[in-house]
Amino acid sequence: MIKQFYILFLIVLLSACGENEPYEDAPVAEDPLEETLEVDVALTLEIPDYFPDLTYDLSQNPPTQNGFVLGKKLFYDGRLASDGVVSCGFCHIQAFAFTHHTHITSHGVNGAIGKRNAQPLHNLAFMQEFTWDGAAGHLDAQPIIPITAEVEMNNTFNNIVTTLSQDPEYVEMFAAAFDNGQIDPDNILKALSQFMLMMVSADSKYDRFLRNDGTTLTSDETAGLGLFEAKCSSCHSGVLQTDQTYRNNGLSIDPEFNDIGRYRVTGQPSDSLKFKVPSLRNIEATFPYMHDGRIPDLEAVLDHYSDGIVDSPTLDPLLRNADGSLGIPLTEAEKAQIIAFLKTLTDDNFIFDDRFAEF
Amino acid sequence: MKKIFLLTFAVAALISCKSDDNQAAPGEVNLVFKNQVAGNDLILSSQTYTNASGESYRVNELKYIISDIVLIGSNGQEFVVPQSESYFVVNEADNGSKTLSIPEVEGRKYSKIRFGFGVDQSNYPLNGVNNFIPTAEETGMLWSWSAGYKFIKFEGDYDTDTSTDAPFIIHVGSHGTTLDNYKTIELDLSTDISVNDNTNNVNLIFDVARVFDAGLQSFSLQEKDDIQVDPVYAPIIASNISTAFSTE
Repeated sequence: MIKQFYILFLIVLLSACGENEPYEDAPVAEDPLEETLEVDVALTLEIPDYFPDLTYDLSQNPPTQNGFVLGKKLFYDGRLASDGVVSCGFCHIQAFAFTHHTHITSHGVNGAIGKRNAQPLHNLAFMQEFTWDGAAGHLDAQPIIPITAEVEMNNTFNNIVTTLSQDPEYVEMFAAAFDNGQIDPDNILKALSQFMLMMVSADSKYDRFLRNDGTTLTSDETAGLGLFEAKCSSCHSGVLQTDQTYRNNGLSIDPEFNDIGRYRVTGQPSDSLKFKVPSLRNIEATFPYMHDGRIPDLEAVLDHYSDGIVDSPTLDPLLRNADGSLGIPLTEAEKAQIIAFLKTLTDDNFIFDDRFAEF
Repeated sequence: MKKIFLLTFAVAALISCKSDDNQAAPGEVNLVFKNQVAGNDLILSSQTYTNASGESYRVNELKYIISDIVLIGSNGQEFVVPQSESYFVVNEADNGSKTLSIPEVEGRKYSKIRFGFGVDQSNYPLNGVNNFIPTAEETGMLWSWSAGYKFIKFEGDYDTDTSTDAPFIIHVGSHGTTLDNYKTIELDLSTDISVNDNTNNVNLIFDVARVFDAGLQSFSLQEKDDIQVDPVYAPIIASNISTAFSTE
């Protein structure tokens, strides 16, 4: 029985790969940062000039190679969780632009299941708030939530500091990364931020097109870009495709989770059912979609926007049409073109960048 | 040549010392928090109190965060406790937590104190504030779903016309730009303290009754007995609390 289940699982996995495999080849990334150096060196974020301004004040926590290498080790270390297994990287898998691809909502320690889908990690240095509802106002504070949440890593910073302090490798690495050399929550979070800040995804086909390096979009992609700008970009605005606001996009309430969204953060009934407008960078790789991962693929996402909007008092006004109908009118051909454009946002050089890889 | 330089330096150092009015040696200042209800020491669980709305209530838990402590000299000079060492949880159930010891306070005369109630979001999580996490964890002052702090955890039960021992829960914090409940409180010391290689105590009274009623804005528990992330009641409580401290 178990064997059969496994085979079935494999088949599902294989067929899922066949359908959704977004990558053609695995490009070789340049100079992976792996070693702790005797003399630390500053790292530079490579940011295209058409990107938005940084929100993270790098002067408060300038990324260095040693900080980055330490942050990466912490990111992939299961000992940050109470069970010694569920690391940050457990739910944020690089190949899926750091999402938890095989799970709809995220899994935590002891088989606990969260109520939200892990968000991708990329271009975090440009975000004002973090998590689906904005419960973290600073990147250095965001990991506090998954590390301490019972259904995620269920740990305490006290425990983590004790564990890390007993590991000579960490003692050396903290000493090499920070002036005060302390293993403390501040430095743990700063190192994680240094690792995550470097995750700039800016080398998709769309980026190369924007940089005018001779890359051209196909006619479908071009048509899709035009449609996207006309019908999607009032929320998914700018080169990161997000205005960083919170909106109710007409999903029905799932009684299993009864997730009220940003209402939990602000206590304002007007924020009920609102979630962060996500960046669409690498969207092809980050299925399933929406805050609870209820939608399996991009076709279904666009079907939701064209025909699946559920009305509620906080529904985003942009999804209400003058004639009283709800949603964004889209033909099947238009949907296919928009998806063609969305796939130009996939950045293989980021997804396969060795600098961020676990192994 | 070197000697002359050193000598000049020493003389300069001496002169600069002399020209500074700050001649007293550093000392220790203990801030001693006393939680009271209308002048009487708060007794947890067993004692029944009456709030401004006439409701009987008992307090089972009272904890709050004190931060960003500044002692202000008689001539306006300020001693700012280093940010990374300026975050405390005062817990009524833990006597040790009610005395906040500030070491190495610059020697001089002080006449005022300023401190924060909660955690200032504009600083968070900079200046080592994240090193406050373990204390907040141990005392249950961290929300589990949000990267922020409960500024006050005030829980107990109360009696209504129809029921007794109904629980009340009051957790107030800041939540983004929309709900900022951090308060700065400045008080004159009842008597000036002179820090000079000595230990001084400053007694600070927190009048719990004012959480419900600070003269301007009162609320009854029957109106609202579960106040957590609350854009209406949390700001009322925070503003009530900003008037609830006094020096003794």
